[in-house]
Amino acid sequence: MSETKPKPQGAVQTTGHSWDGDLQEFNNPLPAWWLWGFYATVLFAVIYWVLFPAWPIAGGYTTGVMNTITFVDGSGEERTTHWNTRSLLLKEMQQSESAQRSREYLEKVAATDYQEILSDPEMMDFTRSMAKGLFGDNCAACHGTGGSGVIGLFPNLADDDWLWGGTVEQIETSIRAGRYGFMPEFRNTLNAQQLDDVATYVLSLSGNKVDQTVAARGEKIFQTDTGGCYYCHTESGTGLESQGAANLTDQVWTVADVNGAETLDAQKAEVKQVIRNGVERRMPGWSERLTAAQIKLLTVFVHELGGGQ
Amino acid sequence: MAQAAIVGSTEQYNYAIIRKFTVMALVWGVLGMSAGIYIAAELAWPFLNFDIPAITFGRLRPVHTTLVIFGFGGSALFATSYYVVQRTCQTRLYSDWMANFTFWGWQIAVGLGALSYMAGYTQAREYAEFEWPIDLLIAVTWVIYLLLFVQTLRRRSQPHIYVANWFYLAFILATAMLHIFNNLAVPVSLFSLKSYSLFAGVQDAMTQWWYGHNAVGFFLTAAFLGMMYYFVPKQAQRPVYSYRLSIVHFWSLSFLYMWVGGHHLHWTALPDWTSTLAATFSIMLLLPSWGGMINGIMTLSGAWEKLRTDPIMLFLITALSFYGMSTFEGPLMSLKSVNALSHYTDWTIGHVHSGALGWVAMVTFGSFYHLIPRLYDTRIYSIRLIYVHFWLATVGILLYITAMWVAGIFQGLMLRSFDEYGNLAYTFVETVAFLHEPYVVRAIGGLFFISGLLVMIYNVIMTVRRASSETAELEARLAAKMARAEGQA
Repeated sequence: MSETKPKPQGAVQTTGHSWDGDLQEFNNPLPAWWLWGFYATVLFAVIYWVLFPAWPIAGGYTTGVMNTITFVDGSGEERTTHWNTRSLLLKEMQQSESAQRSREYLEKVAATDYQEILSDPEMMDFTRSMAKGLFGDNCAACHGTGGSGVIGLFPNLADDDWLWGGTVEQIETSIRAGRYGFMPEFRNTLNAQQLDDVATYVLSLSGNKVDQTVAARGEKIFQTDTGGCYYCHTESGTGLESQGAANLTDQVWTVADVNGAETLDAQKAEVKQVIRNGVERRMPGWSERLTAAQIKLLTVFVHELGGGQ
Repeated sequence: MAQAAIVGSTEQYNYAIIRKFTVMALVWGVLGMSAGIYIAAELAWPFLNFDIPAITFGRLRPVHTTLVIFGFGGSALFATSYYVVQRTCQTRLYSDWMANFTFWGWQIAVGLGALSYMAGYTQAREYAEFEWPIDLLIAVTWVIYLLLFVQTLRRRSQPHIYVANWFYLAFILATAMLHIFNNLAVPVSLFSLKSYSLFAGVQDAMTQWWYGHNAVGFFLTAAFLGMMYYFVPKQAQRPVYSYRLSIVHFWSLSFLYMWVGGHHLHWTALPDWTSTLAATFSIMLLLPSWGGMINGIMTLSGAWEKLRTDPIMLFLITALSFYGMSTFEGPLMSLKSVNALSHYTDWTIGHVHSGALGWVAMVTFGSFYHLIPRLYDTRIYSIRLIYVHFWLATVGILLYITAMWVAGIFQGLMLRSFDEYGNLAYTFVETVAFLHEPYVVRAIGGLFFISGLLVMIYNVIMTVRRASSETAELEARLAAKMARAEGQA
C-alpha cells in the first residue's frame, strides 16, 4: 500500500510527516477564492452589525444606525424606533399594501348593515375572501373546511336546517356567545319497550313507514309527561330554535345517523341511542377571540353557506 | 514496515471494540431509518397511527432521530475514532475495559432512550429527549470516552497528532460540554423521571438551540470531518490537499459554530441582537465549513479516474458534495428574511436530511466499506453491490430533498400569499393538504435509502462469513502442515 508514490502536485511539498504507512499532507496554500470569500463574509457581517441590533453592551445593545421603523403604537401615537422585529411586524400590519387594502374593505363592511352587505356583490366578494381564512382557521377544525360538520358531533352549516335559527342575527349570536345544546338522557326514565315506542314515533314524524300501533304508543309518551319530549321538540315535532331543539319532521338528522342506516331497525337503533344517552354539545363563544367585524364577516359567510333565512 | 503493521494489526490494536461498534451502527441504522420511514408514511397517511399512542408521530419521531443520530452516527463515530486514533498513533487503545464501558454505556443509553420515548417519557428538548437518569449514564460514558481518547493520544508513537484526531477530540470535548449544560435539571424526586430545566423562558430555548445546533456542528460535522480526513486520503492513496487549510478551517469552524444556535429562534421572543449575531456568524461559517470539502475533494485532484473505478471513492466524494451543498444552504436559511419563509416548513427537514443522509450517512458508508474488510482481514464480498448501494442511496436522497424543497418552499409561499382584497389567500389547513404528495415522495425516497443500507448489510455479512471461512481454511492448512511436520519428525 505504502508503495504508491504520490504524484507531485506542482512544486508543493508535503509537510514531511506521515502516519499509518501512507498518510501524508501537502502544504498547499489557502485557495485565494476561499480566503477572499471568507473575508467577504466577514465584511458582510460587519456591515450587518452596523445596521442592525447586534452586540450586547453594558445594560443594552448596539441598536444599529440608519435603519429606523416608524409605526403607530397602541395609544395611537406615531413612533420611530431602531430596527426591531416587533415594530417591523406592527408596521407591516399597518402599512403594507395588502394590509391597507384589506383594512379599507373591512372598515366599510363593519359600518354597513347586514341587508346591504348581502345585496352588494363587491362586499360579498370581500367577505368570502376574508371569512374563508377566518372560517378555516377558527371554525373548520370542528365544522370541516366546507362547513359540513360531523354527524353526532358538530352541526352541518352547509345545509338549510338551522338548530338555533338561520337569520343573520341568530347566527351572529351563535358565533359571538356560543351555544350549549342539551337533551337529557332517558336511560333511567324510559324502559326498553318505551324507548322503542318513542323512537318509532319519532321516525314516523319524518314520514318513515312504521308500525302504526307501536307509533301510537310512542306518541303517548312523547306528547305527555311520561317522556315530555314535546316541551322542547313541540307537539308538532318541529323543534324550538330558542332551545336548539331539532326539527324531527324533516329528513335532516344531525345527531342520530338515520340517513346512514340501511334498515328500519338500524334507523331505530340510532334514534334510540340518542334518546337513551341524551345529547350535550357545546360551541364556545368567539367574542373574545375575534373582533366584532370578524364575527360579522363570519356571520355573513355562514349564512351564505347554508342558504340562510 | 507497513506490511508488518498490517499482519500484526489484530493483536497490536484493539479491533474487537471497533467491530462491535460497527455492527451496532448498522443495526441502529436499520431500526432508526425504519422508524423514519414509518413516521414519514404517517404524515402522508395519518391512519397509520392506528390510535396506538406508542407509535404516533410525536413518540416515534424522537425514536427516529435518536437511533439515527446517536445509535447509527454515534456508534459509527466511536468505531472510526477508535480505529483512526490507534492507526495514526500506532498504539493500542489505552484501556480495554474503558473501551468496553463506552460500548455498553452508549448502547444501553440509546436503547433505553428509544424505549422510554415510546412509553411517553421525554424531556421534550429536541435531540436531548433523554430523561435525567439516562443523561447521567451518557455523561459518565462520555467522560470515559474523553479520557480514553486523550490517554491513547498521549501514548502515541508518532511525534505529531494527525488532523483527523483534532476533529475527533473537538467533537468529544464540545459534546461533553453541550450535553452537560443543556441537561442541567432538577428531578422532581429521586424516583421520578420528570425533571425541570435550570433555565426558563427564552434562555431555556436559547440553551436548547445552542446545544441543538452544536450537536449538528460538532457531532454531525466536525466528527465526520475527522472520519473524512482519515478515510478519504487512505482510500485515494494520496496526501491530504492542504495542511494549512486544515488548520485554518479547523479553528475557524470550531470558533464560529458556537455562536450560531440562535438562528433556530429567529422571529421569536429571542432578542434581535442575538438573532443578528446568530445570522452573521452563520454566514461567516460558510467558507470554514467548505474548507473541509475543499480539502477532501482536492485530495483526489490528479486521481479523478478513481471515481470511475472505485465505488468507495464515489461514496466519499458524493458525501463531500452534499456536505458542501447543505453547508451553503444552512447559512442561506439562517438569514432572517429567508428564515421567515423557510422556518416551520419542511424546507428545514429537507436541509437536515441533505446533511444527514447526503453527508453523514454517505461518508459513513464509504468509510465502513474501507474499514470492514480490514477489521476482518479480508476483501469485500462484492464491489458490484457497493455500486448498487450507492445508486439506491443517491436516488433516495435526491427524491427526499427535492420533495422537501417543494413541500417547504411552496407551503412557505402559500402562507404568505394575498388575494386581490389583501387577505391571506390560503388557510393553514389548505397548505397542509398540499403537502400530501411531497410526503408520499419523501417516504419513497426513504425506502430507496434503506434498501441501499440493507444491500450493504448483506454485503457485510457475506464479507464476514468469507473472512471466517478463510481463517478456518488457513488454520486447517496450518494444522495439517504441523501434523505432517510432526509425522516427519
